[in-house]
Amino acid sequence: MNPIRIKKLSAAATLSAAALLFAGCETTPETRTIDSRGPETLNTSSINSQDWANAADQLVASLLSSSALERAPKQPAVLAIDRVINNTTLSVDTDLLIKKIRVALTQTGKVAVTNTMGLGERAVVAAEAAELEEMTTGKKQKLITPDYTLYAKLIQQTDRSGKQTQNTYSFQMSLVDTRNGLTTWEEERSIAKLTRRPSVGW
Amino acid sequence: MKSSLLLVPAVLLLAGCGTTVNTVSRADSLAAPSMVADRRVITDNSLAGMVRVVSINQATVSGNLLKIQATIENLKRSTKTLNYKFEWIDENGMAVDSPNETWKQIRLQPRETTTISTVAVTPRAVDFNLKLKE
Repeated sequence: MNPIRIKKLSAAATLSAAALLFAGCETTPETRTIDSRGPETLNTSSINSQDWANAADQLVASLLSSSALERAPKQPAVLAIDRVINNTTLSVDTDLLIKKIRVALTQTGKVAVTNTMGLGERAVVAAEAAELEEMTTGKKQKLITPDYTLYAKLIQQTDRSGKQTQNTYSFQMSLVDTRNGLTTWEEERSIAKLTRRPSVGW
Repeated sequence: MKSSLLLVPAVLLLAGCGTTVNTVSRADSLAAPSMVADRRVITDNSLAGMVRVVSINQATVSGNLLKIQATIENLKRSTKTLNYKFEWIDENGMAVDSPNETWKQIRLQPRETTTISTVAVTPRAVDFNLKLKE
């Protein structure tokens, strides 16, 4: 075999090896569907989907265990959603918490959430239908006064020590009796996330 | 010299074990829990050797909602993380899809005994499954 041919072959072999090497390095993004309420969810320093579900579950369990709804003047008790204050650094839709609580409480059959007042979902079409009914029948539609209002607040406290950062998220909730303005139930649940910075970072 | 060399790893070993939880309670408990006779399916022997379900009791809250509480014990001398989930079943044996059926995580201190609980959000729930995962 002549030297030129040997050179060509070795160059081709080098190129092939390089191509294989680069092909080996290339990774394709992999996406799979996971259970949003399962242990596979990403655990970050903020509130993840599992944290929202856990907070909602703990608050609902506390409210139902307190029997506060048993003392309602009527069944199901009419509930209006009051303010939900987000005092965390996270820009989140508070319905991630409130909707879960609404769904759970409605399923119990002990609560009916009003959409005509408070920060609950405005039932636009229902309001329009009520207006139309008023116009056609001439009768004023009767609004049901809520028995309770639900107020919630999210608070974040950040503590740092060395390379560790602890974010504690507190979920506070109060149920207020509209007849007398008294709080009939309230609860606070917290989730703490400890994050350690890597020793070497670039 | 030889004995001191043997002592060093022994001290390090003991230090690594950490401290365990001591508990004090009333000698003659006034509580009269309604205990649940349970049936267990063990597929992870490692987990069964790590965390033990001591007992399960139930109560009815808000008039007609089932509340289940499980007492669990960390059998190890180190802090352990346990994932658990309660599932609900109606009187026809059908699974009740509930918004509170989520995997939850709990950190158990060395040799700690604690409780985990949940409340069914529908009166249709009469039975439950408690699932545990490391």
